Amino acid sequence: MKDTLELLHRFSAHPDSRCWYVAWNPRGTLLASCGGDRAIRIWGKEDESWVCKCVLSDGHQRTIRKVAWSPCGNYLASASFDATTSIWKKKNNDFECLTVLEGHENEVKCVAWSPSGNLLATCSRDKSVWVWEVDEDDEYECVSVVNSHTQDVKHVTWHPTMPLLASASYDNKVCIYKEEDDDWECRATLEGHTSTVWSLTFDPTGQRLASCSDDRTVRIWKEAQPDEGSSSDIAWKCVCTLSGFHGRTVYDIAWCGLTGALATACGDDGVRVFKEDVTSDPEEPIFSMSAHVPKAHSQDVNCVAWSPKEAGLLASCSDDGDICLWSYKSED
Amino acid sequence: MSGGTRLENANPLIFQRSGERLLTATDEDDDVADPIDDREIFDLIRNINDPEHPLSLEELNVVEQVRVTVNDQENAVSVEFTPTIPHCSMATLIGLSIKVKLLRSLPDRFKIDVHITPGTHASEEAVNKQLADKERVAAALENSQLLEVVNQCLTSRTM
Amino acid sequence: MATDSSLLLGLVEEFVSGQQDTKAADTAKGVKNGQFTVLQLVEALGLSLTSSQHDTRARGVKLLSEVLQECYSCLNEREVEVLVVFYENRLKDHYVIIPHVLQGLKALTKSSALPPGSAVSILKSVFQDTHVQSLMIQERSCVYSILINLMESREQELKGLGSDFVFGFVQSMDGERDPRNLLLAFQIARNIVVHGYNLGKFTEELFEVTSCYFPIDFTPPPNDPHGIKQEDLVLSLRAVLTGTPLFAEFLIPLIIEKLDSDVKSAKVEALQTLADCGPVYGHKELSPFLSGLWASLRREVFQTASERVESAALSALSALTAALSRSVIASNADDALHTLLDLVLKDCQHHLSEPDLRLVWPSAKILQAVGGASYRACLRVESAVLPLLLEQYTRRTQSAQRRTLLEVLQGFVQPTEASIPAEGEECVFLQFGASLCAVVFSALSESGAATQITATRILTALAQHKGVLSPSDVELAVDHLTTLILQEDDPHVSAAVEECVGSLSPLHPAAFSSRMLPKLKEHIFTEPMVQGDAPDSQNAVRQRCVSALARVTSESSLLQESTHILLAALSAAHTGSGSFSVDDVISVCQSLQRIAEHAPLTDADIGRFFHDVITPRLLGLAVQAAVQDEGGRSPLAEEAVLAAVAPIISTSCSRLSTDCAAVSAARSVSLFLDGDVTFLPDNNLPPSLQLLKAPSPQVSQLVCLLTASVCSLPRSVEIPEIDRLLEALEEVGCTHTHTFTHTSAAKCYAGLINKRPSGPALDAVLQRCVKRVSAELDNSTSCLRIQALTLLLWVTKGLLLRYHPLSTTLSDKLFQLLGDRSLGAVVAEGFSLLMSDSLDVLNRGCHSDVRIMYRQRFFAENNSKLVQGFNSAPPEEKAGYLKALSHIMNNLPRQVQLTELPALLPLFLEALVCVEVCVQLSTLSCLQPILMDPPPALTNQLEALMPRLLALTTSPAMKVRIASLHCVHALSRLPDHMVLPFRTRVLKALAVPLDDKKRLVRKEAVTARGEWFLLGSPGR
Repeated sequence: MKDTLELLHRFSAHPDSRCWYVAWNPRGTLLASCGGDRAIRIWGKEDESWVCKCVLSDGHQRTIRKVAWSPCGNYLASASFDATTSIWKKKNNDFECLTVLEGHENEVKCVAWSPSGNLLATCSRDKSVWVWEVDEDDEYECVSVVNSHTQDVKHVTWHPTMPLLASASYDNKVCIYKEEDDDWECRATLEGHTSTVWSLTFDPTGQRLASCSDDRTVRIWKEAQPDEGSSSDIAWKCVCTLSGFHGRTVYDIAWCGLTGALATACGDDGVRVFKEDVTSDPEEPIFSMSAHVPKAHSQDVNCVAWSPKEAGLLASCSDDGDICLWSYKSED
Repeated sequence: MSGGTRLENANPLIFQRSGERLLTATDEDDDVADPIDDREIFDLIRNINDPEHPLSLEELNVVEQVRVTVNDQENAVSVEFTPTIPHCSMATLIGLSIKVKLLRSLPDRFKIDVHITPGTHASEEAVNKQLADKERVAAALENSQLLEVVNQCLTSRTM
Repeated sequence: MATDSSLLLGLVEEFVSGQQDTKAADTAKGVKNGQFTVLQLVEALGLSLTSSQHDTRARGVKLLSEVLQECYSCLNEREVEVLVVFYENRLKDHYVIIPHVLQGLKALTKSSALPPGSAVSILKSVFQDTHVQSLMIQERSCVYSILINLMESREQELKGLGSDFVFGFVQSMDGERDPRNLLLAFQIARNIVVHGYNLGKFTEELFEVTSCYFPIDFTPPPNDPHGIKQEDLVLSLRAVLTGTPLFAEFLIPLIIEKLDSDVKSAKVEALQTLADCGPVYGHKELSPFLSGLWASLRREVFQTASERVESAALSALSALTAALSRSVIASNADDALHTLLDLVLKDCQHHLSEPDLRLVWPSAKILQAVGGASYRACLRVESAVLPLLLEQYTRRTQSAQRRTLLEVLQGFVQPTEASIPAEGEECVFLQFGASLCAVVFSALSESGAATQITATRILTALAQHKGVLSPSDVELAVDHLTTLILQEDDPHVSAAVEECVGSLSPLHPAAFSSRMLPKLKEHIFTEPMVQGDAPDSQNAVRQRCVSALARVTSESSLLQESTHILLAALSAAHTGSGSFSVDDVISVCQSLQRIAEHAPLTDADIGRFFHDVITPRLLGLAVQAAVQDEGGRSPLAEEAVLAAVAPIISTSCSRLSTDCAAVSAARSVSLFLDGDVTFLPDNNLPPSLQLLKAPSPQVSQLVCLLTASVCSLPRSVEIPEIDRLLEALEEVGCTHTHTFTHTSAAKCYAGLINKRPSGPALDAVLQRCVKRVSAELDNSTSCLRIQALTLLLWVTKGLLLRYHPLSTTLSDKLFQLLGDRSLGAVVAEGFSLLMSDSLDVLNRGCHSDVRIMYRQRFFAENNSKLVQGFNSAPPEEKAGYLKALSHIMNNLPRQVQLTELPALLPLFLEALVCVEVCVQLSTLSCLQPILMDPPPALTNQLEALMPRLLALTTSPAMKVRIASLHCVHALSRLPDHMVLPFRTRVLKALAVPLDDKKRLVRKEAVTARGEWFLLGSPGR
């Protein structure tokens, strides 16, 4: 391991609770975090330290599992175990709750904005993925409910360039969806993981997808030609499996849009960064672990997030309630 | 049978409780550190109430000390429990009670794994997977009906 | 007279027009002392009573009624008659007058001069002219009281009204909502059904109007001034419903309906009501409902999730069976008891033999409840069940199943009232005696502690049934028990075996004497082998034999036999034969002590036996051991052994008859003062022993036996040469360097002066002692200060207990010593000795003069001194004051603690942040019991208390960590609203001690944190 992950800041974000998720705003100036204390906190850097700019504590009745910034940076969506998704609008230095999206039968596990900002995807333990359309008047309308998974859906994420949506589930599978006559359909099912798939991330170009799982592995999937005779027009195949690196469940994975580095958050308290061997065959890429902080947190690490603007700046959060900021430095 | 029954295993065999852990001389010595050991973990869970019977998990042989493993240095605790019958619908609830009891009682440095004793339950894998999913456990504990049942299992009996 | 009548007119005027309420009392006083009569009052009221203003009339009636309430007992029949007519007419008056009219009538119904016929006419008027449920609470209560009064005094007249009375009452109470009034109404209804009023065609109406409240659902409002509890209403309604068999046809369906509901409290209430019907109902009432009742009851036992419901169902079933057993059967009817038993046996019996034994427990419980209800039921159930169980037991091979069956069997053989045969009847178990014994003996010889324990319990039960155990069974049983004593080392089994021996030996003394005692004796005297078995296990066998021996003594013949064995063991130990360890000897002493405690020492023969034989032998052995050469040291010279011998002597001396006691006192005194050894057996002792003047601890410590013999005698016994004795004890107490010796002497001294009558002689002795002790204590260089302090503490205690005035001076001396550099800590500890019960001397068991509430008195006299002392003491001395205070507080009754706490709380809070570990500890130990149910003074201070306690959970001292966790745990029991605000803070703070390096600390942290997690959480 030639690269380094240097701890820049550590601060208690959700004391007396766990911190489930952190998300950078598109300008890379703010971090939103959420947790078991049913609150969202917005963090910003003042001088050399990170301070809490505001607390959004009255939007949800239960744990807030994930938060997502809209591509314009003016909206924030939050997914909660109370079966709702809230949309917040930024107003000066504060946020107001614009609307609450209801419909899922139980815990909403994830929410994601499409790159255009006019679509929103949510998923839930009710096994469904919902796609919502946003109009200019900030009205949200559900355009599609897809029931392709047989279990709890843990994560949804949008393709960076194409109108594609991917989801990960407790049924050990990943599904890829495409729009068809105003409806979203599952067009490819990625099988390979042997336990719950917790998270997904596309590479900056969108050609590859990385998934992480309770089976303690990370898999890299690449777009491929559909098999002869296949009914589907989309196919993704697994081109690489990273196993033997993680000691427990891998809860989150993030591909850096600026450096191409791949970071993971693991239940063994560690944060790891993997790098692709540039000389390897694109059909059989080789990834190696380039940095590892074994005790990055004192408890499970739940989330890793690369800054969209500052290369190598990584945020992580954990069951211990802390957020850490790391500087990833590569030797070359 | 006359007068059907709600209990699945109405009259399980009852096992003897192990006594209180005996004190040793070093237990009282403030200078000696006592590592967390299997018996200590077992003592945490043996008095959990069974959700259906007025008995403890120990008395029903659902938990046994030999099925508890702890590694204090490596912060790992593993517990296997054995449902009284292979189709026991309470298995998840019992496992959840064990897990919650350990979460509340152990330092948070520990990774806690709770499993069904291999080969003793029809839905062994499904139950194990649920118990290992911390997101589901967290959501379950925000469900007040479920939390109520778990808490009842963890309340020391007064009767 | 004229002045009286003008006085009366004045009073009336002032009350009616002047609105002066106090004048009613003055008027009543006038009537009572004969200044004027009630009729004169009516006359004087004349104008007010006929006024056209209803307010004026109301005022007038009010005055009359209030006077009557005071004076109803001095009315004559004529006056009552007139007043009754007056009031009956007024019932038709304006509604504002009615309340006062009813008050007046209520007063009149209490009069013993109520003329015949008035009762009926009052009731008729009330029922006719008032609509009770439109009245206010108070007035309705008045109507009920009128009914109750009349039912008490005029029962026959009311019964003459026939069912009209019941109808009137039913109408009156229909719709009543007030709990106080309901209690009255239920009382009336209960009287009606129990005292045989004619219900006529209104039986169902009366049932409806009361049963509509069933089951009672009443939560008293907070701060209810009337103090009516749900329980009161429940019981009084139940008394009505179960009061008469006439209600059976309505009540039983209602009960079945409530049983079939899902509300647990309704089920329990229905079951308890059903159980209460048992004594009232018979065959006729129950027969039509048997199968319905049984179906519901069976379900509640087979499927219940609640122990309360289950046990209520079993009691109800038992009551039903008893009722059916009691009934006289009409010759042409089926026996309903057998109908019920058939149902029960059909549904339960087969569960006892099903392969997986699934419903064996509930079935057994039902069968036992039914069988325990009557002899007839018992006979039927046992003869159906026992053969089945016995067969199952022999057929099964799995030990867990056999154990379950054995436990079930135990329930069936437990003696109940029903299983005891009446004259001429045969014991139910007689025919099964042999097979039961076979099962028990097989179980006793099986391995498995639980099985053996259950078997001993069955054996105990069988022995209670006369004639079931044949002589050869008894002998075999004794042999089995003996084997278990010799071979089984599980302490639970040993305890069960001893229990069984204790209950069997009085019934069959001969078998124990001939078969068990010789074996025990043999093993007591068997020298532990060095090779083979570990000597430890041999000693364990010996100690079990010794302990069992103590149980085989309930008969006086056995008592003599076993005590002789034990005494012989002591002699052997003394002479060095048999390799008796000190622990062996101590257990021999403990067995003798147990025998002394349980023997009927008041029985003159046994008392004398202890006095003549045991005490002299013990003293003799102890003296011989003490004066023996140092070389071959006897175990009886050990301090621990003497401490075990002392209670035997003390127990037997405390129960001696007066003449024996006097002899005993004289012997002990002359032995210790003059070396008179003539009464000791096997006497080869030197003639001039100086037991109290010996410098060697081995001899001097014998003073503990002097304490045992002279301090436990009845107070009336005069101790000879007491002054010389006290002087000698004072000398030993003040000067001996051996701790056990000088402490025993101090106790003896204190025990004696506690009983010594007041007077100049006692004063002189005390004066001398106090002077000497003070001189020693004031001399800071003396090496005998600890002796002086010990004597001071014990003397203070002896005097304190009897409220002797000198105790104040002495305790002041102790307070003063709290600041002493070298003794302060010991003094502080000493307050525990002063305040707690002492086991060997100065307690009521040894006839000491112990006044009630001496602790409270001591606290009241001294707490301000302690607080002042604490406040003015330099920091390093504060600990002593706090420790003394916590010892005193800890021994006070809770009520006193609660009242005193507010004053002391600031001191406690300060003490918690004091750096001294022992101060923290004593404060915590004092706080903890108070925290279990803290007074408001404390709950107001939670903001201050909580952080202090939480900080101590990470103290460097383990004991402080544990004690503070105990306190934090105790706080979790406070009402939620007080502690919920602290929940997050506490949970976070307690996560730290979860990882404490000490297991004991972690254990407390786990318990406390677990409770705090449950706070405000569902399912707690």
